[in-house]
Amino acid sequence: MNDRLKTLLIAGVAILVGSCANHKEAPRSSSTKDVPGTATGIRLVSPLPNGEWTMPAGDYANTRFSPLAQIDTNNVRGLHPVVTLATGIPRGHEGGPLIVNGTMYVATPYPNNLIAVDLRNPSGPPKWVFKPHPKPRSQGVACCDVVNRGASYANGKIVYNLLDGNTVAVDAGTGEQVWRTQVADVNYGETLTMAPIVVKNRVLVGNSGGELGARGRLVALDLDTGKEVWRAWSTGPDSDVLIGPAFKPFYAKERGPNLGVGSWVSDQWKTGGGTIWGWISYDPELNLIYYGTGNPGPWNGDQRPGDNKWSCTLFARDADTGQARWAFQIGPHDEWDYDEIMESIIVDMEWGGRVRKLLVYPGRNAFVMVFDRETGELLSANKFIDSTNWASGYDLKTGLPNINPAKKTHQGIVVEDICPSSTGGKEFVPSSFSPKTGLVYIPGHNTCMDFQSLQANYIAGTPYLGASVKMKPGPGGFQGELVAWDVRNQRKAWNVIEPKFPLYSGVLATGGDLVFYGTMDGWFKAVDARQGKVLWQFKTPSGIISNPVTYTGPDGKQYVAIYSGVGGWMGAVALPGVSSDDLYAALGTVGAMKELEKHTNPAGLVYVFGL
Amino acid sequence: MVAAVSVGCNRGTTDLAVTGGAPAIDAVAIGPIPGPVEQETELSNPYSDDRVALAEGRKLFVSYNCYGCHGGRGGGGMGPSLRDEVWLYGDSASHIFDSISRGRGRGMPAWGKKIPQQQIWILAAYLKSLRTPLEPEPPQP
Repeated sequence: MNDRLKTLLIAGVAILVGSCANHKEAPRSSSTKDVPGTATGIRLVSPLPNGEWTMPAGDYANTRFSPLAQIDTNNVRGLHPVVTLATGIPRGHEGGPLIVNGTMYVATPYPNNLIAVDLRNPSGPPKWVFKPHPKPRSQGVACCDVVNRGASYANGKIVYNLLDGNTVAVDAGTGEQVWRTQVADVNYGETLTMAPIVVKNRVLVGNSGGELGARGRLVALDLDTGKEVWRAWSTGPDSDVLIGPAFKPFYAKERGPNLGVGSWVSDQWKTGGGTIWGWISYDPELNLIYYGTGNPGPWNGDQRPGDNKWSCTLFARDADTGQARWAFQIGPHDEWDYDEIMESIIVDMEWGGRVRKLLVYPGRNAFVMVFDRETGELLSANKFIDSTNWASGYDLKTGLPNINPAKKTHQGIVVEDICPSSTGGKEFVPSSFSPKTGLVYIPGHNTCMDFQSLQANYIAGTPYLGASVKMKPGPGGFQGELVAWDVRNQRKAWNVIEPKFPLYSGVLATGGDLVFYGTMDGWFKAVDARQGKVLWQFKTPSGIISNPVTYTGPDGKQYVAIYSGVGGWMGAVALPGVSSDDLYAALGTVGAMKELEKHTNPAGLVYVFGL
Repeated sequence: MVAAVSVGCNRGTTDLAVTGGAPAIDAVAIGPIPGPVEQETELSNPYSDDRVALAEGRKLFVSYNCYGCHGGRGGGGMGPSLRDEVWLYGDSASHIFDSISRGRGRGMPAWGKKIPQQQIWILAAYLKSLRTPLEPEPPQP
């Protein structure tokens, strides 16, 4: 570097610092339900992140919409990196950072460090790094890379999960641990990977381990002490599942005593999965939380006759007591590993001539399912990935899927070309909803599979799988599709095809009519929220499997942040220790993903973009 | 250092119980020994060229859930690939036996008290056969 360049750079830094100091600090906590330009007939029930980003989705409704509009369709071409940070951990970076009170908090994959960055001096050293040192053996029972999907902020604390089954609360100012509570047990194949949310002083945490015979549960911890307040199991007797007098499911198929036992053979429910490793929503008006449960275990359906409740089920529960209000089993007797742990997007919207309280659920089963979130009635179910062939649709009267018998799986038989693959029409990566466009932006996959069920043996702490799976690109050869779904008209408004790899990042929509997402080979993109035209893109060094967020910096300017760090289930082949000549490796994803290792390498990077 | 190496040299197999024609392993160190010299008596796996045993090893690899972590044909996933160039804890027959028997710190369970030693040798033979012409049920291209 020559001296002239050095001088210019130093001057540039000085100007940047100067410009920060000259701007007024953004309001510490700002949220809104009133978005300029909201489409007719749309009403939000939960405040949106308007400057800060304090919970995994930004808001309780899981819209992942920010009204910030400084960066818009006209100026987005000028977006460029302004801050970068290495976490030092070259594993899959799922989730996204929090931004609270001028500080960015980054929760990393195992070893689950929490990094606090002062946004007044973002290129300086971190304010602090909290290192919780989870048990190393937890790495060996995590099904799909040693990931973490994010943290929540509440009442001066950052709360997040450690891979080894502990939830921690950390003082947001000092980085000191406030409490640590064991929620899951690695000896039984359980880990914690999901992002907790905090509702009225309760931290809601669910376990992972559906591939290892774990029994799913959602636990509410007291925010101040970490002590367990209630626990709702996904399988077992009604007393365990917290099904009581208030339980009023819409459909007959969900009614009857102790279905969490009776829909299994003998004691299979004790190792039956239904883990809760995705996203939780909260409706503050109805005081209900919503979340879905994962696959039944093992994957081999012949070994577990019955509906296997309450796996692959959407639950509505009282936020205070955890008592179930309604349930809807999206995948009765799942045979394809379609975990239904996706984001429940809650919005009031005009539907059939009147405004209804909707829950929009883009499923791993590749159907966009719209529910009345007060009653659990299924209002519509439409394919959002065209190649979907496991079912033709759902019967709205019974709530049951119309399953294609040719795609049912059985022990010893290789069933070919099931679409979608176990990784779904979308994976856990969350969609976004814009109240301005009325569109849900779904990170879609066009990936299919050959599936052979095998006899599974339960051995505690090891995979309880029972399947040999080989995935492959779906018809047309492309694997990624950003689907803009028109909720009201129940149709695809437009899409963006990502030719090489599944879309494995979350999506962010903004008041500037932009939609942000990343690709598995590292491109970070902004598209027009109304037409899908790609307006800007930037190549980060590693694949993007994280969720973009946006915030207002201490200088009053809008920024967009993303992690670049490939991994996760579909990105496993890009990590060391996975061989691309075994198409059945990484639970079958290598078959579809073997080209990925040529396109990207592991990293752990935070990028912040600004104008 | 010298003492440690000489202890390693003195380890033999003559006084160990032999089950089913396979050598026992209790005295083998965990993993490769650091340092320039490792003159430990190498145990040979009686099943390494036995196609019937390799096919049995493939079955055990599935029935003991090994494939769930290490991939359908050993290509890795939750656990490391067993068909790449890298043997994290040594590639000798006894090291592979040892990894299976005693487990490893990042999540590999210790199987020594759960399954018979003979089956561990058969599993080790299957793992060594991966990517060789002897591999049973090799992955399709």
